[in-house]
Amino acid sequence: MDKQQHVQAIVVGAGAGGGVAAKVLATAGMQTVLFERGGWPVYDAHINDELISQRMQVLDSAFGPDWKKHPRVYVGPDGSRTTIHAGDGSYNHVAACVGSGTVSYGAMAWRFMQEDFRLKSIYGEVEGSTLDDWPISYDDLEPYYEQAEWEVGVAGNDSLNPFAPPRRRPHPMPAFEYNRDGRYLADVCQRMGLHPFPIPMLRNSVPYNGRAACIRNRTCCGYACPVDAKNGTQNTVIPVAMATGRCEVRTGCVVAELLTDDAGRVAGVRYFDPEGRAQTQTADVVVVAGSATETARLLLNSRSRLHPNGLGNNHDCVGRNLQGHAYTGASGLFDWDILDLTGPGATMAICDYNHHNPGIVGGGLLANEFYMLPYAFSQSRPWGEARWGKAHKDYQRQNYYRLGRLLGPIQEMPMWDARVTVDPAVKDHWGIPVVALSGSRHPRDFEHCRFLSARAEEILRQAGAVRTWRHTGDTPPASFYGPSGGQHQAGTCRMGNRPETSVTDAWCRVHEVENLFIADGSVLVTNGGFNPVLTIMALAYRTAEYIAKHFR
Amino acid sequence: MLNRRQFIQRSAVCSSLFLVGCRRMPQQSPYRIFSPEEAGCLIALCEQIIPADDAPGATEAGVIYYIDATVARYFPDTKDRYHNGIASLQAHCQAAHGQSFEALSPTLRTEVVERMETGSLPPEHWETISPQAFLTMVIRHTMQGFYGPPRHGGNRNYASYRMLKLDFPLVVGQNRYSHG
Ligand SMILES: Cc1cc2nc3c(=O)[nH]c(=O)nc-3n(C[C@H](O)[C@H](O)[C@H](O)COP(=O)(O)OP(=O)(O)OC[C@H]3O[C@@H](n4cnc5c(N)ncnc54)[C@H](O)[C@@H]3O)c2cc1C
Repeated sequence: MDKQQHVQAIVVGAGAGGGVAAKVLATAGMQTVLFERGGWPVYDAHINDELISQRMQVLDSAFGPDWKKHPRVYVGPDGSRTTIHAGDGSYNHVAACVGSGTVSYGAMAWRFMQEDFRLKSIYGEVEGSTLDDWPISYDDLEPYYEQAEWEVGVAGNDSLNPFAPPRRRPHPMPAFEYNRDGRYLADVCQRMGLHPFPIPMLRNSVPYNGRAACIRNRTCCGYACPVDAKNGTQNTVIPVAMATGRCEVRTGCVVAELLTDDAGRVAGVRYFDPEGRAQTQTADVVVVAGSATETARLLLNSRSRLHPNGLGNNHDCVGRNLQGHAYTGASGLFDWDILDLTGPGATMAICDYNHHNPGIVGGGLLANEFYMLPYAFSQSRPWGEARWGKAHKDYQRQNYYRLGRLLGPIQEMPMWDARVTVDPAVKDHWGIPVVALSGSRHPRDFEHCRFLSARAEEILRQAGAVRTWRHTGDTPPASFYGPSGGQHQAGTCRMGNRPETSVTDAWCRVHEVENLFIADGSVLVTNGGFNPVLTIMALAYRTAEYIAKHFR
Repeated sequence: MLNRRQFIQRSAVCSSLFLVGCRRMPQQSPYRIFSPEEAGCLIALCEQIIPADDAPGATEAGVIYYIDATVARYFPDTKDRYHNGIASLQAHCQAAHGQSFEALSPTLRTEVVERMETGSLPPEHWETISPQAFLTMVIRHTMQGFYGPPRHGGNRNYASYRMLKLDFPLVVGQNRYSHG
């Protein structure tokens, strides 16, 4: 086994949180190695191929992971275990490349609201759920939201959103203009007394940071940007980290295990290099940011005398409380072309239903949706419509520009049993035990989806849709079973003040290991009624700043 | 250099070796996994799923080539489902109508597919795969082949993009990914 030269910091995973952490550590003067199992994203490798886009993944995942090398196991409600690959819906992955989801995301850049950090205080206990407050408040995170917005780059304007949490500094770029359906639905919402506003976006509305402005491509969400106007960690913070000369990005390297010393501190990592050779890298401090599913797996796979159940897992908390977002809302067919395909599709949102809804814990935003390409559209029909034949083709032709949608990520009730474990039998290409996913969602989630989807349907009806239907997650073919997670996965190493119910402290330091930190979606206590990436980035800024202060 | 005779001899040896363990390949086929007979049946079934009208249907868009190429490359596990499903459909059509599926009249073909969907065909020819499961798979792949990008063999000449009035190929800007 080769041994590399000791460094000050290791970051595992070059996605949203890991990219930010590496930048902060390297610019603070720390010699850092950033590990990524995937490679650098290359636009030419996927062009605008709908069937491999990170939203569809029919044939392959354009931005990883490799279907063959990274299997997972899905545990059914009856305990049956099925080996699955990344094209399977129950796989629940984000991506695997430098930038990870931030290369191909839709790039909505939400700050959580103040309420989102205090759900238990506001709404009380929810039976059967591990719903809790965060150990930090919105105010603790506000400066780091600002840093993420300015360094990664967000276009937005909160002045139209009366529900926006307080901010000290405006967004660095002006908001995007609405597309046709956004403009129209905004007018309708306004007439209804709601408060529409342009969605804040991690895309350049004007040239920014030396890169071009957005060209309003219809293939945005699920794809890399052809003019590099979408801001991910791969084209912002990671290049900044590299430019310091103190951050080495090691791509194609799969971290297998965190190594500990006799005192129970983390000493480094064991990993496989691109040639498949086992290597070790030691460091003073280790930051894990492999996404909520993979971070939990890595901790659980790191067993030692002092940590027999996996690192940080002496209280059996690692991997639990896996959550994501039920995307809920409604679709409506219009008798005129409501879509103009001015990308990326989602441009307008309302936050009127994020909190203080009668009978609902939390809530969620509603936004017009990212465009569907023709294959996705062929799979999107109200229940009972023709699945084939002339009728199907006619529907396709008649309605491709006439489908208005209002959808949103709704706050989920965390579940102790919705979890990541490591499979006792199935191993990946490198012989490492893989993620096994089990558990189910809270029944209240479906009630909440019915509430929010009814609001969305109401708006589409007011807008004159000739036919509407709702997406509540509990109508066929969707099912009640299976944990939530997916591209918004979070919660598996939640932060908290008590080691019995959380994995990290309020600085995202693993309770049991003084020099081990987590900087990805795993630490989120609850996942907000918002897409989570800006919150993950803001937390990573805060955590890495703390590390730089104490370990440099 | 091989002369013609040697070439034929060698290729005969190669192909007979190749045939060992191969389920069926009675004559040369332009497809990777289907025999010409199987393809004939499947083409007719795909054309039922997306029929030609003033816009091309599945046949003209080359959906069969999408299915053949992607099953061979990405979904080898579904190969047998295709072989079995096609055999079942043909056995049913022979028993019920004395003809193969593709030789039936268009109305009769539609009726057979409708009965596949509702599960109202006699069960005896469908031991290895149910008509619904087979049809669902073929519908899914036909939609992918017709509406997906042409680089996988289907959607020839951007037939579906033209039908939906989508510009093609998408006009994009300069590719500026220059890392590593
Ligand atoms: C199509 C799509 C659209 C999206 N749209 C939005 C949106 O509009 N707004 C929003 O807020 N969010 C969006 N998201 C979600 C967002 O991308 C994720 O929330 C975010 O990337 C998660 O950050 P993370 O740091 O937790 O993990 P990731 O960003 O997934 O980073 C984890 C990285 O670690 C690497 N890794 C894991 N394990 C190992 C290991 N053992 N060794 C080496 N490397 C490892 C992975 O390969 C990956 O690159 C979208 C995602 C997708 C895919």
